[in-house]
Amino acid sequence: MQKVIIEPVTRVEGHGKVTIHLDDEGRVKDSFFHIVEFRGFERFIQGHPYWEAPVLVQRLCGICPVSHHIAAAKAIDQLAGLDPKDLSPTATKIRRLLHYGQIFQSHALHFFYLASPDLLFGLDAPVEKRNVMAVALENKELARKGITMRKFGQEIIRVIAGKRIHGIAAVPGGVHKSMTIEDRDYFLNGKDLPDVDTMIEWTKEVVGFIKDYHEKNALWLDSFASYPSGHLGLVNADDGSLELYDGRLRGIDSDGNRTLDDIRDVDYVNYFAEGVEPWSFLKFPYLRHLGRENGWSRVGPLARLNVCDSIGTPLAQQEFEIFKKYTGGKPNNHTMHFHWARLIEMLHCAELMKALLHDEDILSDDILRKGHRRPEGIGIVEAPRGTLIHHYQADEKGMITRCNLIVSTTHNNEPMNRAVRWVANNVLDGKPELTDTLLNQVEIAIRAYDPCLSCATHAIGQMPLKVTLYNHEGNIIDERVKS
Amino acid sequence: MSESNHKNILLFAIGNNGRQDDGLGWAFGEALEQRGAFRGEIHYRYQLQVEDAELIAGADEVIFVDAFKGKLPGGCQWKRVEPSANFEFTTHALSPEAVLFWCEKLYEKTPEAYCLLMAGEAWELGIGLTLVAEKNMESALEFFKKTYLNPATQTSPERTAGILVRTPF
Repeated sequence: MQKVIIEPVTRVEGHGKVTIHLDDEGRVKDSFFHIVEFRGFERFIQGHPYWEAPVLVQRLCGICPVSHHIAAAKAIDQLAGLDPKDLSPTATKIRRLLHYGQIFQSHALHFFYLASPDLLFGLDAPVEKRNVMAVALENKELARKGITMRKFGQEIIRVIAGKRIHGIAAVPGGVHKSMTIEDRDYFLNGKDLPDVDTMIEWTKEVVGFIKDYHEKNALWLDSFASYPSGHLGLVNADDGSLELYDGRLRGIDSDGNRTLDDIRDVDYVNYFAEGVEPWSFLKFPYLRHLGRENGWSRVGPLARLNVCDSIGTPLAQQEFEIFKKYTGGKPNNHTMHFHWARLIEMLHCAELMKALLHDEDILSDDILRKGHRRPEGIGIVEAPRGTLIHHYQADEKGMITRCNLIVSTTHNNEPMNRAVRWVANNVLDGKPELTDTLLNQVEIAIRAYDPCLSCATHAIGQMPLKVTLYNHEGNIIDERVKS
Repeated sequence: MSESNHKNILLFAIGNNGRQDDGLGWAFGEALEQRGAFRGEIHYRYQLQVEDAELIAGADEVIFVDAFKGKLPGGCQWKRVEPSANFEFTTHALSPEAVLFWCEKLYEKTPEAYCLLMAGEAWELGIGLTLVAEKNMESALEFFKKTYLNPATQTSPERTAGILVRTPF
């Protein structure tokens, strides 16, 4: 049997490697996307006071610490005896603004700096061109806008949390502080930073770009790494619209039939199980009643737009209708349409940020509520990459005794494996060569999910890219190393 | 040529103090703040990002401080950094050279830049530096104080050329 190893995958967060197993005739026998980074965070946090969790869990990730912070805070609210409805309007709106700023900046980063080379230069682009610097040099205005859009989201985080990283925004029962008029005006007056209306306009331009790009490249965008799957995400409890901060969990199958019928997020444990495989540290969540083979779902922008009934802001709703119309209202199973969906969500977040920045509640000092301690708390949010679940138990002294995290990339573990398999079957099969095009397509398939495999350690001097090709006898016949 | 001459100096403390010695960069920044010895701006980062290119476009001088996985003579290293399209195999994180490259190409500015690396030896989940890392950080702080913060040495060849510095233990 021959084995092709691609390790690690570039322009995703953290390290992973892909192994493609070939038979004696060079045909694909199987493929695996390995997650080899072990974090052990669920054990690490045991024994810490529960109120430390929202701060500690930020260290999970250098890209989406805010998502972990907010999911943990929602869980910790429950340990403090408070449900989302019990928080003050100010606390909820400040947290939402923080969350939308995080999603806005994360989506901007992914589109402009990770995905754009895939879209602008295509599947067969040479290695030296397959990077964001090439995009920037050919599209300087686009690059500068991308930087500013990401900065806008980062500044929302900095102002609310005090720092862009490891800041403190949410505390049990509310938030650490609200916004001042000066804070708010910074985002509205356009003096030191392009204002929120500019963010909306620029995002509309980018959505226009992706639609135009799709019109010209529908064939490969619709077919590349596409496969039927379930989809999972939060929806608004009242009207089924897209919900990112707090709502009901909805699942559908590839035909749109409900597999999870708007359950309360705190009931997730009754519906989900997690499988393990010997070749990956990442677990494989699935819906219990459908089983390990059929119960897996995609999460993230594409899944969220598939499960929701509408979007609660006007400009994003217009784009949602166009997006849905393309597949005749049926679930969209085109992997590369993640990019399209991601930009519609960016527009939604820009509109939501504008609405909140004009809401007087964010200036109020009514920021904290108190409740009666409970032994268990569950917080679920839609992080940029998908459904994020934090679940804690604490003893009578308030020390965490159990922690379970199901992060977005974990939900997408099986889907990413399916995407890799698609590439292996459609590109590699019968051609056991380690070509740039092949490596590129494997990475493009994975990158569509914007996975975060654990980026919380980096130190200069690491991150080699190693590509190894084994023949059917287990001997290395080709190897490439980039550093 | 010194911060006392009101140059706009940015120091990026890079790392993650939830990963043992990966917290060296932040610990260095915090030590500078506590000792009140540095009058530039200190920015803390898990990773350098593209928007940092815009930030440094307004600076005269930039210092990147980070942990280093491996051995360094004397435990730390000070070196000059030049813009370089050293980006091919980074993820969201950029190298100092790549941030300078972005800055040069997109904002047409090239601030003088240095990198201060401190060797660490443990990278697992956990808060707190190892003894070796602490020792290396103290060496780096001592070097920084003598060579960078002292106006008399502002134009020394060691400081401006970014020569590898062996610090006495």
